[in-house]
Amino acid sequence: MNLELIHRLIADEASGHYSRRQILQRAAALGLSAPAVAALFAGAIPVRALAQDADNPLGVDPAAPLDVVIFKGGFGDDYAIYVNEKMYNKLYPDAKITYAGIQRLGEQLQPRFVAGEPPDVIDNSGAGPLDTGALVAEGQLADLADLMAAPSYDTEGKTFAETLVPGTQESGVFDGKQLLLNWALTAYGIWYSSSYMEANGYEYPKTWDEMLALCEEIKGAGVAPWVTTGVHPQYVRQFVFDQMLWKHDPEAMRNIENLEADAWKAPAVGEVLEALYQLADRGYLLEGWEGLDHIQSQNEWLQGKAVFIPVGTWLENEMKDSIPPDFNMVVAPTPSLPGDKIPFQGIFAGGGEPFIVPAQGKNVQGGKEWLRLLFSKEGGRVFAEATKSLSTVSGSGEGLDLGSAFASAQEAIAAAGGNTYVTRYQDWYKQFGEDVKAQMAELLQKQISIEEFQDAVQQLADDVKDDPSIPKYTAG
Amino acid sequence: MHYQKYRLIIPFLLPAILLYGVFVVWPYAQAIYISLTSWRGVSGNKPFVGLENYQRLWEDERFHEALTRNGQLLVVLPLVTIAIALTFGALFTQGSQQIRGAGFYRIVFFFPQIIPAVIVGILWSYVYTPNIGLLNGILRAVGLGDVSTSWLTDPSTVLWAIAAVAIWSSVGFYMVIFLASMQSIPTSFYEAAILDGATRWTSFRDITFPLIWETIRTSIIYLAIAALDFFILIVVVSGGSTTMGARRAEVAALYLYNQAFDSSRWGYASAIGVVLLILTLLLSLGIMRATRRETYEF
Repeated sequence: MNLELIHRLIADEASGHYSRRQILQRAAALGLSAPAVAALFAGAIPVRALAQDADNPLGVDPAAPLDVVIFKGGFGDDYAIYVNEKMYNKLYPDAKITYAGIQRLGEQLQPRFVAGEPPDVIDNSGAGPLDTGALVAEGQLADLADLMAAPSYDTEGKTFAETLVPGTQESGVFDGKQLLLNWALTAYGIWYSSSYMEANGYEYPKTWDEMLALCEEIKGAGVAPWVTTGVHPQYVRQFVFDQMLWKHDPEAMRNIENLEADAWKAPAVGEVLEALYQLADRGYLLEGWEGLDHIQSQNEWLQGKAVFIPVGTWLENEMKDSIPPDFNMVVAPTPSLPGDKIPFQGIFAGGGEPFIVPAQGKNVQGGKEWLRLLFSKEGGRVFAEATKSLSTVSGSGEGLDLGSAFASAQEAIAAAGGNTYVTRYQDWYKQFGEDVKAQMAELLQKQISIEEFQDAVQQLADDVKDDPSIPKYTAG
Repeated sequence: MHYQKYRLIIPFLLPAILLYGVFVVWPYAQAIYISLTSWRGVSGNKPFVGLENYQRLWEDERFHEALTRNGQLLVVLPLVTIAIALTFGALFTQGSQQIRGAGFYRIVFFFPQIIPAVIVGILWSYVYTPNIGLLNGILRAVGLGDVSTSWLTDPSTVLWAIAAVAIWSSVGFYMVIFLASMQSIPTSFYEAAILDGATRWTSFRDITFPLIWETIRTSIIYLAIAALDFFILIVVVSGGSTTMGARRAEVAALYLYNQAFDSSRWGYASAIGVVLLILTLLLSLGIMRATRRETYEF
């Protein structure tokens, strides 16, 4: 008798998606004899991992080994090891956990997907991750619906989904299915040293005109107003250009994401590009920025060579060994342009650090259970303390005093209210994202004009749109 | 008699042929098949699309740009590397005409060759760093601050900055090859030439060069193949396959890599690989033909 089939049938039955009659019909179709199935439901055949009680709502096999792979980057991986040792193995002491904290996940894990032996849970982040779009298109990701509906690990009376910050998991929904879960609550904005600004009597500008005026003053004092990485121009593209465009005209930003005709040639796009271009044209960017990678640009900024830098909330943890004392880094939204539709407080923030459970993993339920443990109050607290970053678990940062960056990100997200957004087209259409960032670098290095930028990017967008081999997604 | 000979040869040859078949021929065959599919590389699903990938490649401007860069490297790399290596080689041999301290220089110039390519790349990426790098530091110190630039992202410099690294690291190797070849030339040839009043240059042109032509020819082919690849140095020196520098210096092999690993277009990437394979074969044949000339026995 095929035990695996029976397991699947029982899991289906337990999930409540199928009636017992449907199960019996399917069992018959699969060639299981009626007495065998009847014996099964009568409990005559002992099957492990059926206890779907409050302690084990996902029906995890307590003895099944678990394979965990984590991107070990800006956030390190102490928090994941904590979940392995102090949470999962505490609940399931018999489960042997295979663990790896690595970089460049795509290259390393791809052969395992092709061979049908992927890990059970993956933090698919960093440079060179697995291509989510390709995984989704190939049906390689497990539907997390049962996890979303399961009771929370340590918030009583709430489901797993109800404990997460609203709006942070939308980017993980593909065709109505939750296929990935975002772990880090990231705010992307303009960073500065609040102590430096105070000492010089500067105040963070709320409008772009004020920003340019302040830049002139800073430049006059012999300091570069801005720095960003020219080696990875997606920073300035997403955290500044996309953010400013979204605040200026959310509709224009959505049209771009949805590959609408002439979306890049909309007047709003031109206005934002014109504003951003002033940084390059008036020489407000640190000399040599073109050749700096993200770490180098952040180091220049920490050394006081520049005042503003666009980055995300992983910044403090990433640079923790080189931050001068009393630097007090804080994050702010991009300044407003005349006629903005979203108020100044609106900021790019959302879930990052996407976790996935491969559909072909050996222990899919175990992978989901691992996520249920991570996305808990305890997991969120451990993460916040280890990385000084927020997680997408509601209230996980409350009552923690973790410094200026943490506090300012928390404040900025709270001040934004519902006005948060993050663009996703660079993840949906990776090639296109690479192309746009290259054009952005050309523009800010004054190799091309604004019109040339718009023409070139529009052409690239049209190419994506007209290519039937690229699966399309829609921003809501 | 013949039968016995084969009984001996076959067991010796078989393992090598098997290994070659499994690890070289079979992957090539697979790559050719994959190039006819739209495989995304994350499952076993490989939809067959015929020659569509090749058709797209034909119209793909980014691929053409990448190939153009390969073409530029193809001209510059062999020419410059061999010219420098020959100069050093000739200076350190040519019988009694060799310069003083030749033994010392021979060792020093070979040093870069014993450093792994990745380390060479990382070291040079520091040299080229715009604000704190050695190169711009030196330029500023000697009053050439205006020349300093972001070498590894500036579109007009990045490819050549990286090509310079390749030349720096491979000159030593070709110098040694040429030296070995030059040392096999009897010194009596040079002595006779000196008696006839030959200068260093005439000895080189009329004795050394023709006698080591076969070695130079082989070197040209090696360097041409290296110019058609040129993947590692770009990725390492520019700091990664998707950096701005890598994009602006993108060669065909790097485009292949990015299509596969970054954009999950494995079928398309395989088509690029197949085209590169054909180009490499044609190039080797072409160079063999073009450089065939009379060889001298001595």
